[in-house]
Amino acid sequence: MSAHVRSLTLKQRFSEKKCKIATSAELDGSTISRFSLQLFSFLSVSLKVKVSLLVLLHPPLLILKKQPMANEKTGPPNFPGRPAASPFAAAPPTMTPFLSAGPVVGSEASGYGASSPARFNGPSISSPPPSYVPYDVGSYQRFPTPAIPPSQPIPPSRGPPPSQPGLSPSIFPAGQQILAPSPPVSFRPQPQIPSVPMGPPPQNVPLTPSRGNVPHSSLESLFPASRPTLQPSLHGYPNVQANPTSQVPSAQSPFFAQPGGYVPPPPVAAPIGLNPREQMQHFSAVPPVGPVQGLVEEFQSLSVGSVPGAIEPGFDSKALPRPLDGDIEPKSFVEMYPLNCHPRYLRLTTSGMPNSQSLFSRWHLPLGAVVHPLAEAPDGEEVPVVNFGPMGIIRCRRCRTYVNPYVTFSDGGKKWRCNICALLNDVPGEYFAHLDANGRRTDLDQRPELSRGSVELVAPTEYMVRPPMPPLYFFLIDVSVSSVRSGMLEVVAKTIKCCLDELPGFPRTQIGFLTYDSTIHFYNMKSSLMQPQMMVVSDLEDIFVPLPDDLLVNLSESRNVVDAFLDSLPSMFQDNVNMESAFGPALKAAFMVMNQLGGKLLIFQSTLPSLGIGRLRLRGDDHRVYGTDKENALRIAEDPFYKQMAADLTKYQIGVNIYAFSDKYTDLASLGTLAKYTGGQVYYYPCFQSTIHGDRLRYELARDLTRETAWEAVLRIRCGKGVRFTNYHGHFMLRSTDLLALPAVDCDKAFAAQLSLEETLLTTQIVYFQVALLYTSSSGERRIRVHTAAAPVVSDLGEMYRRADTGAIVSLLTRLGIERTLTHKLEDARHMVQLRIVKALREYRNLHAVQHRVGGRMIYPESLKFLPLYGLALWKSTPLRGGHADAQLDERCAAGFTMMTLPVSGLLKFLYPSLIRIDEYLEKGSTKVDDFKNSSKVLPLSTESLDPGGLYIYDDGFRFIIWFGRMLPSAISFNLFGVELSGFPDLSKVILCERDNEMSRKVMGILKRLRESNPSFYQVPQVVRQAEQSRERMLLVEDQSGGSSGYVDWILQIHRQVQQSA
Amino acid sequence: MDGVILSWLLSFFLEIGLVCLIVYQLMCLADLEFDYINPYDSARRINSVIFPEFVTQGVLSFLFLVTGHWIMFLLCVPYLCYNVRMYMHRQYLVDVTEIFNMLNWEKKQRLVKLAYLVIFLFLTIFWLIYSVLEDDE
Repeated sequence: MSAHVRSLTLKQRFSEKKCKIATSAELDGSTISRFSLQLFSFLSVSLKVKVSLLVLLHPPLLILKKQPMANEKTGPPNFPGRPAASPFAAAPPTMTPFLSAGPVVGSEASGYGASSPARFNGPSISSPPPSYVPYDVGSYQRFPTPAIPPSQPIPPSRGPPPSQPGLSPSIFPAGQQILAPSPPVSFRPQPQIPSVPMGPPPQNVPLTPSRGNVPHSSLESLFPASRPTLQPSLHGYPNVQANPTSQVPSAQSPFFAQPGGYVPPPPVAAPIGLNPREQMQHFSAVPPVGPVQGLVEEFQSLSVGSVPGAIEPGFDSKALPRPLDGDIEPKSFVEMYPLNCHPRYLRLTTSGMPNSQSLFSRWHLPLGAVVHPLAEAPDGEEVPVVNFGPMGIIRCRRCRTYVNPYVTFSDGGKKWRCNICALLNDVPGEYFAHLDANGRRTDLDQRPELSRGSVELVAPTEYMVRPPMPPLYFFLIDVSVSSVRSGMLEVVAKTIKCCLDELPGFPRTQIGFLTYDSTIHFYNMKSSLMQPQMMVVSDLEDIFVPLPDDLLVNLSESRNVVDAFLDSLPSMFQDNVNMESAFGPALKAAFMVMNQLGGKLLIFQSTLPSLGIGRLRLRGDDHRVYGTDKENALRIAEDPFYKQMAADLTKYQIGVNIYAFSDKYTDLASLGTLAKYTGGQVYYYPCFQSTIHGDRLRYELARDLTRETAWEAVLRIRCGKGVRFTNYHGHFMLRSTDLLALPAVDCDKAFAAQLSLEETLLTTQIVYFQVALLYTSSSGERRIRVHTAAAPVVSDLGEMYRRADTGAIVSLLTRLGIERTLTHKLEDARHMVQLRIVKALREYRNLHAVQHRVGGRMIYPESLKFLPLYGLALWKSTPLRGGHADAQLDERCAAGFTMMTLPVSGLLKFLYPSLIRIDEYLEKGSTKVDDFKNSSKVLPLSTESLDPGGLYIYDDGFRFIIWFGRMLPSAISFNLFGVELSGFPDLSKVILCERDNEMSRKVMGILKRLRESNPSFYQVPQVVRQAEQSRERMLLVEDQSGGSSGYVDWILQIHRQVQQSA
Repeated sequence: MDGVILSWLLSFFLEIGLVCLIVYQLMCLADLEFDYINPYDSARRINSVIFPEFVTQGVLSFLFLVTGHWIMFLLCVPYLCYNVRMYMHRQYLVDVTEIFNMLNWEKKQRLVKLAYLVIFLFLTIFWLIYSVLEDDE
């Protein structure tokens, strides 16, 4: 390997060097190496002798970094750009509201924070002002918040003003208490009042004209009009439990006896935790009269009480929150910042950035973002393409930020201020436009890059280090006996043949094949040949490529040869009895063939690599290793060859996708490493049988080949001063501290990143994020996809919790957990997840325990109500669950690799699959699938949901499990399968296919419908009969099974831990 | 007493050599962090000097042992054990794929080594001067 690399031609070295330069084009501006300075000061003190030596060795360290610009042109690649302005004209009409909202200007932008609704995901989000929320009590309780200034007037006739927490218990019922005795306890001086009345934000968040002068002194507490006169118990007195959730009287609620005469308390101002700035922000979110209304914060609670019929105290399992609607994107955030990119591209774990280190350290959940740069957009919402033409892409001189809706123009339009680093840049002459009276550019509606959070820029030649590569697919296929027997070879050959017409990038697409068993077979596909020529290399020690060209050919030129090859491939090896697999040497050979261009390498492997370099051994079935310190070694690559190979593949822009088929151990931990560092994906088909899994392989391979792919890509996330992305999680290779190298990336890959604060105190009001993906499209155009988002900086922990996004948090926690399993025991990984949830809830409890008598109730923010359940689901997910016996090692690794790349919604579905009952629909007369959609409802994943007389579909996004109740009328199963199920020996062999009857057609219709909602994978229906499979129990996340707790126990467990040191 | 001085002199140069190797590795890491070189080059450069570093350190320990400087040898032992352990576990080379995640750890490890070596260097100089003076008397 290394010998080969060393013998690279000069040309390659040249391009390699260039590669580095291109990389730095993406880089940020000049930073002095802090570390070098440190090192130097250290050295200069203690090692004066050596300093001169150092300098000799390494002059660049002394030089301030000067960022090379990406202006190394590489000759040929002058590709015809798109017609310059065409995309603008096509700008969808949806832009107009944004435009009317006015340009968002740096200094003004802070005002956007003002429009923050108080909470996320609330069931009543669309309902008017938050202060009325208590009316529409859902299945939970709401409580006053600490973040509310004492001075806030209270909605008319809802209750008396709040009293200080210390007092209220003693004077209960404190209805008569007047406000006067409760002066602000800690009225923090307001550091920055956004005094600039900003341009009107989006239509859906009406700005109040008066918000600039909302009173925020304590005087306003004398607001007479809103003085309530009567007040039920305050501060979370237990009587508020008279609401639907907790039918059970809580043990700690002495006052509960007072029957429902009380309504849940209105939002009351809590005396401490006041933050005037926030207050300001809230004001604008609500009609002018009710400054109070915006100040509502409510948490939810669960009472520990004795469940009727149960002896031990517990939670009422019906009252526990369940994410039956699947993933919910945080809407309020989008509404607040309409110029942000859609949350499908970028989701922050909390959209309130902590303003200080101390606040950050109290946020125990991961702080970061989940980025899905190429997410598929529904029709009509495609990312607009912008071509700047000869003037080049407008970027900040210093931090290289791309021009975006949040930049501000000044000086009559001659200058623009970067929203990320605040540098004033010149506007190029061609880009100049006059400003109107509001400081907005007059051509705003012509410029998607100034009005949309997501744009795609056409990159000129400066962004190329070589001519854009053609789409290249190289297939590395195991043809040993097991591949042939399982039918894999045939399915693969046929599928590839079917997809040839749809491969992206016609007519530039290149293709090549290589097969191997104990020898390596190359195929000459030269277009002048009639039949492909096969060349066999059996020397595995010193791999060479027998033919320098013609192993990779242009598909459109050699189409006939490729067709002939794919037709004959299955028959060529049908009598092969070779059981060996020279995977490592074959991989090296493929690398040698591909490294001129890069591309996508698809590996089809059905046995354990057994010959040559990179051979692996059976190591998965040793159960004694589990529970010891060596356990994690099973889950990482055994042979350093794989890591080294992965690094080299990325370097030459080769992305690897692994398709593994074995019924025995194949060491996916090692094989998957190749995909992990090259931005690839692992597809695992345990016990592949073409009759059962053929459809799945066909679909997923076809999708892999035909989905839009971004080639030779790099991804960088820039963010404003004071914060920095430090850790990245997903499938990629880091090429510098913050540059993700992605040889091939597509719409099914998401990445996660964690933020850290660089400064102890953030002075800005808003932090901006910009995701930039520079890639070559299949059509051979260099493009940059830019997503920009803004998030307000908050100074209050409660606000962070309110703005939390469970989906993103779970996504990051999952990735952290899986990464933990690579270095620690499974148990440690699970505990890490649990601990973080517990810490977060404990902090939240501490936040509220002061003002409210939370007593024995478990409290949690509305935004995180599903977090414990997802934590439990993660605990029970394949990569983290149990020990040796609970999942095959390969299965674990495959699931781990998959979950590391899943976007948020896919992951949530995988963690908490949907369970739908279908027998009622089947027996009804209606034939329309729409009816099914309306009538079906998603059930909680517990045994109670399963009726022995029912038929259910369990859909986790990767498979369908058709669950047959024991008492299900046999007519149904007969209709579906044509046989009696009870007499069927092995249900895993049952194939569900369309039969000639109404019911079967209906079921297939449902499955089709469900598949359409998740096009990334193909879900194979799997039949399970009640209580016949031991693993059935593992499917039900909320149930207790084999050592792991059920939902109620889990909540109790978390609750106890939260209380322990609360 | 020429032998003693010679042995101190020799160990002094070995230590200088070790310090250089460690500093070189640290610089590669610093360069990587601030993006002067790519991870491939950085890992290659660091890995090329790790083995020499281990050997030099082994020779140094051996030198202390055979010249009868027991205390210095004992002080060397932790470092030696650490190196041997890393070598046995095949963790001594820098992993190019994980280099950024391990950056802080790698740096810390080398800074500790550097500090250790600097103390050693002072001790050696002290012993060197001491034995020269003793020789004079």
